[in-house]
Amino acid sequence: MNRKPLLHLFEALMVIFLVIFLYPFVIVFINSAKDSFSVTQYPMRLPENWGQILLNMKSILTSENIRYASSFLSSIIITAVSLLAVTILPAQAGWVLVRAKTKTSQFIFFMFVAAMVVPFQIVMFPLISWFRTIYEVTGIKLLRTYPGIILAYLGFGLSLSVFMYHGFIKGIPFELEEAATIDGCSKPAVFYRIIFPLLTPTHATICILHGIWIWNDFLLPLLILGKGNKIQTLPLAVANFAGAYVKQWDLILTAILMAMIPVIILFLLAQKKIIKGMVAGSIKG
Amino acid sequence: MKKINGNNLTFWLFLAPVLLAFLMIIVIPFFVGAFYSLTDWNATARTGAELKFVGLKNFTDSFADPAFLYSFIITTIFTIINVIAINVVSIALALVVTSKLKLRNLHRVGFFIPYLIGGLILGYLWQFIFNNAVPAIGKAIPFMGFLADPENLLLSKVGTSVIALVIVASWQYAGYIMMIYVAAIEAVPTSLYEAAKIDGVNAWQRFRYITVPMIAQAFTITMFLTLVNSFKQFDVNYALTAGGPATIFMDKPIYGTELLAMNIYRTAFVSNNLAAGQARAVIFFIVLVIITLVQVRINKKKEIEL
Amino acid sequence: MKRILIVLLVLILSAGIFFSCSKENNKAPITMMQNKPEIDAALQAYGKIWTGKSGTEITIKSVGGSTGADLGQQLRADYAAGEMPDIFIIAGVEDYKEWESIILDLSDEAWVEKTSVAFTKDGKVFGFPVAVEGWGMAYNADILAKAGVNPAGLTTIGAYKTACAKIDSMKAELGLDSVISMAASADMGWVTAHHNFNSLLSNGLPYGDLSVVNDLLAGKVDKKRLSEYADWVELLFNYADKTVLTTGNYDSQVGAFATGKAAFLHQGNWTDPNMASANATFDMAFAPHGSMSTPTEGIFVAAPSFYVINKESKNIKAAKQFLNDMVFTDEGNNYMVNEAGMIPAYSNVTLNPAGKLSKSVQEWAAAGKVYSWSQYYFTNDFRDQSLAPIYNQFANGSIGKVEFIRYMTEAFEGLK
Repeated sequence: MNRKPLLHLFEALMVIFLVIFLYPFVIVFINSAKDSFSVTQYPMRLPENWGQILLNMKSILTSENIRYASSFLSSIIITAVSLLAVTILPAQAGWVLVRAKTKTSQFIFFMFVAAMVVPFQIVMFPLISWFRTIYEVTGIKLLRTYPGIILAYLGFGLSLSVFMYHGFIKGIPFELEEAATIDGCSKPAVFYRIIFPLLTPTHATICILHGIWIWNDFLLPLLILGKGNKIQTLPLAVANFAGAYVKQWDLILTAILMAMIPVIILFLLAQKKIIKGMVAGSIKG
Repeated sequence: MKKINGNNLTFWLFLAPVLLAFLMIIVIPFFVGAFYSLTDWNATARTGAELKFVGLKNFTDSFADPAFLYSFIITTIFTIINVIAINVVSIALALVVTSKLKLRNLHRVGFFIPYLIGGLILGYLWQFIFNNAVPAIGKAIPFMGFLADPENLLLSKVGTSVIALVIVASWQYAGYIMMIYVAAIEAVPTSLYEAAKIDGVNAWQRFRYITVPMIAQAFTITMFLTLVNSFKQFDVNYALTAGGPATIFMDKPIYGTELLAMNIYRTAFVSNNLAAGQARAVIFFIVLVIITLVQVRINKKKEIEL
Repeated sequence: MKRILIVLLVLILSAGIFFSCSKENNKAPITMMQNKPEIDAALQAYGKIWTGKSGTEITIKSVGGSTGADLGQQLRADYAAGEMPDIFIIAGVEDYKEWESIILDLSDEAWVEKTSVAFTKDGKVFGFPVAVEGWGMAYNADILAKAGVNPAGLTTIGAYKTACAKIDSMKAELGLDSVISMAASADMGWVTAHHNFNSLLSNGLPYGDLSVVNDLLAGKVDKKRLSEYADWVELLFNYADKTVLTTGNYDSQVGAFATGKAAFLHQGNWTDPNMASANATFDMAFAPHGSMSTPTEGIFVAAPSFYVINKESKNIKAAKQFLNDMVFTDEGNNYMVNEAGMIPAYSNVTLNPAGKLSKSVQEWAAAGKVYSWSQYYFTNDFRDQSLAPIYNQFANGSIGKVEFIRYMTEAFEGLK
């Protein structure tokens, strides 16, 4: 009968643990409202003047090198279109790979999974020189453009996507499709009308995993888009504050805060769906 | 009813976009990279720099470099500790958020949040915490004074720096792995637990004989993900320790927490030796393939045994 | 519906694919890549003014990081992408070699007459010096006065030993954490293996004397010089704050000095803006690196980085014009000195930067008491991967002076 107080104690301990767990974010927040110098000298102090946070935000919003609005927009476009690409295309690929039980299909699937262990370092520079060769031969410009970076995200993201869709589709009974085929649906129609909607939990999982990666990614945009060009993502912009000698911590932390807020808000708004999707989607993966 | 087979139109039509991207982004650059590893390629504009074929020189040089050999060892150590830490933490967290706690949904959200932020940012943030915030706490609270002692700074010694890397990497990744375990635990039919309870089976036995086997499948995936992820770790390493502090290996002072990915990066960019970096990446790839193949084999076997 | 989505996707994917053509063009916009994020705002503003006057668009990209790692990586990516900037930056001969085939000969430019520190190779001028920079032991004049130490006498290791011991004994009353603010963590390898290392290379030698450099590059180590230098490094590390020394970053190192917690700072005049933002009002100046038993009266002054012009640029004329205008127009001078706070490398520029440490560098330079920066004769690889870990080990206390000397010797002998 004395289990109740124990449970309460545990509950309280977990809350304390959660606060400690998330405390680094508090540190980002309080230090965004300081000038560069107080950040490093008095990291744990509450800021003397909360208004500083607005000043820091203003210097970020107005910086020529950051171009916050346009960087933000580029980040959104790249993330959104890449997510469409890494869900729709691998989903249909995963479907045909499951349904065609041939050697070819098994081989292709194996190749995709094997590619998950290819280190990014091994392909990054050859990728750039290969893109340049394409440009010189065909005139198709992939460097410094949206199509280039989106294609790259599709390439790097498709392995995990195909892997997860493949796992989930395996669990969908084939009878469902048979019924639709008898009703006269074409193959693509079967997929898009019947199967695709069933994949919603997997879509959610993939959007979260890839979304987080693409939104925060640094090295790939650095190589494909380059710093300071017309198209620039938020992480590239933030990196402008970190010099070898001088790190402008006040602005770095404020910029981190500003890049974090939209993601966290989006996550909190949709967290029920996202978590449900993640939970449903990850088990089959 | 015609099934899809390996050579009909739908099959190739549906695969085409993905195959194209795969070819363009992974396959071709992979082979180009493997080719470059056999040359003296450097991607700059040196005079008289035509691409020269140097055979396996880049590979033999790499194996003669203490820093590269050391990074293998330290990466292995880091990976072992990290895989254990992440999985233990995330199983514990998964049990908490699937328990009867009133705030379990809040915890579920909270533990996941660090995963939303990129590794570079987290690395800088934690470097700031370990070096500035922790000593500041030590100075402010009298009986915590030991925190401000330079001898006790995590990032000042190789051993504790590896621990620091594990702390940050686990903090970031545990929430995600937790979700996979949650999925596995929630897939266990509640009727099983109830039946066991009625039979008088205690909590530990329920965990051992119902939960553990049911999450064995999840275990294959989480092991794969954490293993590959730890082995490829770059962002946190780069931002948190930058490879330091130094140590001595094979009687040569080198960086003590330089993981493989970072060693490759340094070879390519700091040492201005892109082709050698490319060769190391090839070695890295081969090792990674072997490790993952072995891991999946072992886990599959275990899955059946459980 | 879903098919429409796909069509849309394809459209978006193909919309961005456009064709560009290349031609020599007088109005072609130019691009500049530089490595100082801290002067970015000033340079951007100046770029706008220049565009207004010349009619040529200039895009300025600032990439933080040392020229070895981050900037080098970006330049490689740009080069591989066929989008090399028209003006970019190099730091000495090792960088020059990487880009040798595309660096334009600037010997005939008007600014060459006005500077003595341009980057030259085989008698030809290739690099436009960005600024004059200098470092020594920055000291807090107020603290030294209170401790009764005369900075003018700090020219030998003996003088430093006495001064440090004296200040160390008065730490409490002076409010100090440590005597010297020094950093040697992995992030700060540039303070030890680049800057401090230079003491070994050029201290006490005539400006431009490369005898020690050449000996070391040939694997010949002067035991006495190295052992004296090791005494100097040991002294700096012994009187430094352990926390800052082993884990500190730039901010904590400079911060300790700026807040009056350390009497000396092992940094250069580029810390002026940090002093301003920390409201450091005390008097400060540079004392020499008294790293030897023979007096060395002078600090290390040089132009450490240079703008170079890309031979393959579509608008070389404008790129040349941009560099010249920095030297010969009022707006250009105003930008370099007042806005960016740099010490101009050009004799015709009459403005002076406001920072106290920059002033001190100018005074030493005017008196001709300067030693060269020779560390760039060693590769990034050697300094960052071979030397920096040795300093780091020494700072952590995991090796002593004897091992320090041994490992340094082995590293040099490996250069042969």
